[in-house]
Amino acid sequence: MNKTWLIIKHEYLRHVKRKRFIFAVLSMPFFVLLIVGIGMLTAIFSTNNSPIGFVDHSGLFKNPVMPEFEASLPFTKPMQILPYANEEELNAALEAEQIQAYFVINENYFENGSIVLVANEEPDSTVLRDFREFLNLNLLKDFPKDISNRLLEGGTVEVRSTDDGREMSSDNIFAFILPFLAGFLFMIAVQTSGGYLLQAVVEEKENRTMEIILTSSSPNQIMTGKVIGNLSVGLTQLVIWIIVGIIGVVVLQSNFPEVQLAQIDTRFLGLMVLTFLPAFVMIAAMMATLGATATESREAQQIAGLFTLPIVVPFWFFGVLIESPNSPLAIGLSIFPFTAPVSLPLRAAFTTIPAWQIVLTVSLLFVLAAAALWLAGRAFRLGMLRYGKKLSLKELFKKA
Amino acid sequence: MSTISVKSITKNFGTQCAVDHVSFDVYPGEIFGLLGPNGAGKTTSIRIVLDIFEPDSGEVTVFDGPMTEAKKNRIGYLPEERGLYQDIPLEYCLQYLASLKGMDKEVSHKRIDAYLERFDLNQARKKKVKELSKGMQQKAQLISTLVHEPELIIIDEPFTALDPVNTQMVKDILKEQRSKGKTIVMCTHQMHQVEQLCDRLVLINQGKSVLYGSLNEIRKNFTGNVVEVRTHETLPENIPGVTAIRHTNQNGDYMLTVEEGITPQKLLKTLINLDIQLEQFEIASPTLDEIFIKIVTKRDEGNE
Repeated sequence: MNKTWLIIKHEYLRHVKRKRFIFAVLSMPFFVLLIVGIGMLTAIFSTNNSPIGFVDHSGLFKNPVMPEFEASLPFTKPMQILPYANEEELNAALEAEQIQAYFVINENYFENGSIVLVANEEPDSTVLRDFREFLNLNLLKDFPKDISNRLLEGGTVEVRSTDDGREMSSDNIFAFILPFLAGFLFMIAVQTSGGYLLQAVVEEKENRTMEIILTSSSPNQIMTGKVIGNLSVGLTQLVIWIIVGIIGVVVLQSNFPEVQLAQIDTRFLGLMVLTFLPAFVMIAAMMATLGATATESREAQQIAGLFTLPIVVPFWFFGVLIESPNSPLAIGLSIFPFTAPVSLPLRAAFTTIPAWQIVLTVSLLFVLAAAALWLAGRAFRLGMLRYGKKLSLKELFKKA
Repeated sequence: MSTISVKSITKNFGTQCAVDHVSFDVYPGEIFGLLGPNGAGKTTSIRIVLDIFEPDSGEVTVFDGPMTEAKKNRIGYLPEERGLYQDIPLEYCLQYLASLKGMDKEVSHKRIDAYLERFDLNQARKKKVKELSKGMQQKAQLISTLVHEPELIIIDEPFTALDPVNTQMVKDILKEQRSKGKTIVMCTHQMHQVEQLCDRLVLINQGKSVLYGSLNEIRKNFTGNVVEVRTHETLPENIPGVTAIRHTNQNGDYMLTVEEGITPQKLLKTLINLDIQLEQFEIASPTLDEIFIKIVTKRDEGNE
């Protein structure tokens, strides 16, 4: 069997089989679920869905039609709107906490729209919206059904660009969230697997297993095996999270059909793969080089942060990337190898990127990834046998 | 045809010259000693042979050519810097290292089982390596050196951290490997340990080769005109053919320096004629340590 493959397998299984890894992988969705759960619970407990009352002095709402309200959150009742005869009854009901607030529709409502809202505590934010819906529905009740429905629901605006078929629905939040989320996950994955890799390289030095490894396989086989093996650990983590995420989205969608999901742009996905993979390898190989030149893992870990920092930079310029995706800054960020994996797919979601830019960025990343791997193999061979001694950058580029 | 051929290798680390024009050949089926004090350049020479370092000048061939990935599978190496993966079970660690030597899984499992049994490590196979004692780890490392049945075995300081029982076991294993026709290079500063084992040797001091050849030849060259004698009688002050008598200890051991031209046989005859009761009569052959000290001091005198 190919030795590179053996090393990949060893490095991969070593981490994945561990309880610590399983725990780390599961803790993320669990954490998200916990936060969402707590958020939901807080919302449910803070929601006041006791009915609202009203008294009509205008005579326009004598036999009111009730809109079919939907519960705003699971496990809550839909809002109720109850008619009362006069203010005294309403005041009594308010005191008895049968209603959370009441509206007085004044005599000249038709002329000037005058309504008074009476409440002892600040009413729930949905109260006004719900009552307005009730008023509109009743004002329109004599119109044909289709006209009143269209008026009440308004229109759905879709934003298009003229250059190609790309479109963006105004309520498609996923177009924004997806690149952001992808970049964020990428960063975490790089950090995790980079950390594993760093450890795996320094460990050879600390365990003094290098000489055995070096006399069993070549430095390039070792480095390639270690980089790919440890990256796969990060990728596994990423894939599990993505799967959990997709399940979450599907569950969300089946419970709340009004949340619109974008069909994920396949081009965006393609660019993501093309930039993430080589960038992943590049950064990881650089970390491995670092691990091979440093003397102990603690020292290496400290410098490792420097490599993950540039990945975050595009997040600072998120606004620029979205609003003017063709500005020099945005183009620069998407070409610079460290910021490319987050910037390029993000720009692609908002503009059409010229082919030369994509080719340039992706090939630059691939070349750098290969170079970084080569350098890592070299650093391994040169640096690993120097117990307790650092390898300088100058030595790294000199002849062995 | 030699298994290893080293021709005038030199290696500098900065301003320090670790190996200075060292040459030697190792022939198939022999135990070859690469000897010298600490810091002499033994390990560096071995690393150059194994292609871990590149020499600044000189040439190395292993199995009649430069080192290749395929040849690495035919070599077993026990480095001086011992180490196994600490955080995984012993058995798994050995299997992984065996697989890197190109071993088939089934075969390696069987052989590792047999070796664990033989080295008395059966109880420890599921334990993490870091939980094992130093001696156990050393034995485990020896397993990973031998498990793929290499044609060439290179071991660096094999006896450190071993107690006398395990030292003897390692020696037996090395002899057993030689009887199987394996070539062994043994690198050590404990010269007394290899005297009974080595067929040929090279002695390195301060990066330079100072002695090279078969053990017997070297001994013969350094054998002086001294005879060791043990007797309970008091030796006469003057014995014909003897220039000096030295009483080595209170147990009746004497060192007799023999006149030039007098053979040990002649001296033995003389002693028998004097009716001295001999318990031991032996031609003193110098130990490697003594030879080494002799060479090094001679060199230093020459330098001054």
